[in-house]
Amino acid sequence: MPDPTAESQTAAAGKINASSPAGAPRIGVYVCECGGNIGETVRCEQVANALGKLANVTIARHYQFMCSDPGQKLITDDITEKGVNRVVVGACSLFLHEQTFRKTVERAGLNPYLYYHIGLREQDSWVHHECPADATAKAIRMMSAGIAKARLMQPLAPVHLDADQRVLVIGGGVAGLRAALSIARRGLPVTLIEKSHFLGGHVAQWEHLFPTDEDAAALLEGLIEEVIAESKITIYTGAEVVSTKGYVGNFDIRIRVQPRGVAKDFAAVDQAIAACPVQVPDEFNFGLTQRKAIYQPYVGCYPASPVIDREHCTRCNECLRVGQNGGIRLDEPPVEIDLKVGAVVVATGFRPYEPFAGEMGYGEFPEVITLPQLERLLATNDRLEWNARPVRRLAMIHCVGSRQIEGMHAPQPDGKVNDYCSRVCCTATLSAANRIHTRFPNVTIYDVYQDIRTYGRGHEDYYVRACKNGVTFLRHLPEEIPEVIRSEKGAEYPLLVKVKDRLTWGEEIELPVDLVVLSVGIMPSPISDLVDMLKIAPGNDRFLLEVHPKLRPVETAVAGVVLAGTAQGPMTVQESCAAAEAAATKVAVLLSRGKVELEPYVAQVDPERCQGVGECVCVCPQEGAIHLETRIENGKMLRRAVVTAANCNGCGVCVSVCPSRAIDVQGWRLDGFEAMVEAITAETPALEGVA
Amino acid sequence: MTTQLRTPVCKVLILATLSGGYRGADAAGQSHLEYPSNSYILPVRTAAMFPPSFYLNAFQQGIDGIIVMYSGTDSPYKGESERTAKIINQTYVLMKERALDPRRLRLAAICTVCVRPFLNEIQKMNALLEEIGPAPRGLPTALIVQAQSAS
Repeated sequence: MPDPTAESQTAAAGKINASSPAGAPRIGVYVCECGGNIGETVRCEQVANALGKLANVTIARHYQFMCSDPGQKLITDDITEKGVNRVVVGACSLFLHEQTFRKTVERAGLNPYLYYHIGLREQDSWVHHECPADATAKAIRMMSAGIAKARLMQPLAPVHLDADQRVLVIGGGVAGLRAALSIARRGLPVTLIEKSHFLGGHVAQWEHLFPTDEDAAALLEGLIEEVIAESKITIYTGAEVVSTKGYVGNFDIRIRVQPRGVAKDFAAVDQAIAACPVQVPDEFNFGLTQRKAIYQPYVGCYPASPVIDREHCTRCNECLRVGQNGGIRLDEPPVEIDLKVGAVVVATGFRPYEPFAGEMGYGEFPEVITLPQLERLLATNDRLEWNARPVRRLAMIHCVGSRQIEGMHAPQPDGKVNDYCSRVCCTATLSAANRIHTRFPNVTIYDVYQDIRTYGRGHEDYYVRACKNGVTFLRHLPEEIPEVIRSEKGAEYPLLVKVKDRLTWGEEIELPVDLVVLSVGIMPSPISDLVDMLKIAPGNDRFLLEVHPKLRPVETAVAGVVLAGTAQGPMTVQESCAAAEAAATKVAVLLSRGKVELEPYVAQVDPERCQGVGECVCVCPQEGAIHLETRIENGKMLRRAVVTAANCNGCGVCVSVCPSRAIDVQGWRLDGFEAMVEAITAETPALEGVA
Repeated sequence: MTTQLRTPVCKVLILATLSGGYRGADAAGQSHLEYPSNSYILPVRTAAMFPPSFYLNAFQQGIDGIIVMYSGTDSPYKGESERTAKIINQTYVLMKERALDPRRLRLAAICTVCVRPFLNEIQKMNALLEEIGPAPRGLPTALIVQAQSAS
């Protein structure tokens, strides 16, 4: 096969040790035609010819498909035969092939960080089809900028650290349980902590799970049984993180475990609960019922032994009188435990949105409840009654606490409204409607919605079934919020729901009902302390942020801290379990060898330039990433900034404040960017002859 | 999207974070949406690493408008949003002192799929540059040095 490339400049003869960056840069430049994707707009041959004239460019080629085996071979041959020691490829997006070409240069013995990628396709040929000459000129400037950066590139090495293989999973809901089990089965020890005194999270509160109508209690029980049978998992309930130090592979985490106050073998549970005079709203039933200060949330909970709610216990000692000696310990102090772990899985879950007092009648009329409350009502009663009256007509209103509009809805304490879609509530509402229809076929159900978003596999079936079951749907515009008002005295139904229904072209409809159910959205659990301790970032919606929703969907910007489940955003149980498996895989891959490898993109201090001012230390958001050290040099006491690479996430905030430009992020140096700007703006001879 | 397809004289530099604006730019490319070829997009790790002097130098070298496209409050890097906003505000002050129209520098939150906002930003910047023309050059070196020490 003839050589399809065009060499614009004769390569220097002789072999140079390619792995050594010593000496002047010898840059290999490759312009990919990407079939016709780039080549039909950008005159690649002209680009290669122009770039070949630039300083330090040893060889400049163009080729049909640089990512193909022959394309990659051109690069490896040039490295080994022509002494190329830096490589710049202009091709498709860096997200597609940057890693491909890094591996190519590495195979040829060159440091993989002596490679730079230019996205000629997405950012040039595909957006300037109409002007091939302009696209060609732009390609030359873009590639020149890459070459300018390549001249300054230095070989980099990933950061290698010994890693503790233990993993901390924070949260004992379905995502935390699933993640813990999956990690343990990969051979890594796990410590699972749960803030409440019982495992299971919100799944314990539901009866059925869509889209399979699975029995939630059976699913959870099976999962918990597997977790407690797994010898590699240590469980602490009533436990939360109180401090964190360290970095990936080496986190020092202190947890505080609140005592249960009741011995494991305490036998007089029922008597003690009966003796307790305290009555508080039972959070397990979302306040529909009361519980005592000594309680078990539900039959079959794990751990099975009850717990004393220290916030509400009045120390009246009534429970002590019925208990066996030593079975109840009201003054047991909390215990602090230090853990050394290599990675952390944050599975802190969600909380249902709590409507404001008066929001659609909530808190104002007792006949207005939330969907979670309805679920508990259905789970704990054989009949559908409210206030000792049978429910004959029921209205379910979607999007309460979701898709809120600024100025129309009351903000949360942080001043923001919940403008996101909670995703799971549409199907959850329809699932509840169908179950009500099955169990209580005479109940009339109205479903008041903006949009039905039954997005997942099998979810739409619930909508179809609800339609067949005779559920009446009414649709309103987002800004025309339904109103819930008290019916006139003596009316048959206690409440009226007023809706401007778009399905009947704006007819104003009044629905007399016995009960209104607000389909509330999902909000993240309040974990601001944990967020601060772990230095992870919440998004605008307050859920925890991943590095990238598609490419790095469970990793945070803090190495070694990954996300699982609804801490990250609204998810179904199915999605939470999938996310937990992803998180487990991520930490298993990270820690399985007892060592971790981190990208070399961390801050680096030039001790010759550093004046020890300490601005970098002041602004650094990562605890322990940079500090000042004092040393004596030539009899003078000097202060210098020192970076702990493992703690640095390469955010570069330190770079922006250093008055002597003594600090940079490796691989992303400021002088590299300055050189690129210079190349973009230069009146370069490379552009001569380009129209 | 209305785009100005003839080649403008002015050059626009776009600093686009890998977790936000750069992917938005790629998304625009994948949609084959045209925009003026005077925009040069540099991928950056975070927007918070550039001191005011970087922007002033870029204007000095021949850039006429700069758009910083980052993830805003959705940045995966804690503190990036606040720090970047602070730096840009500092730069505005320095630009005014140097008779550089502060509108030449824009900070925009662009997410991975923000194709329309990405194009809007480029269009707005080009409309502005059409109105006010290229950036004045010839800033005394002393002022650049001063900016470096101020940052």
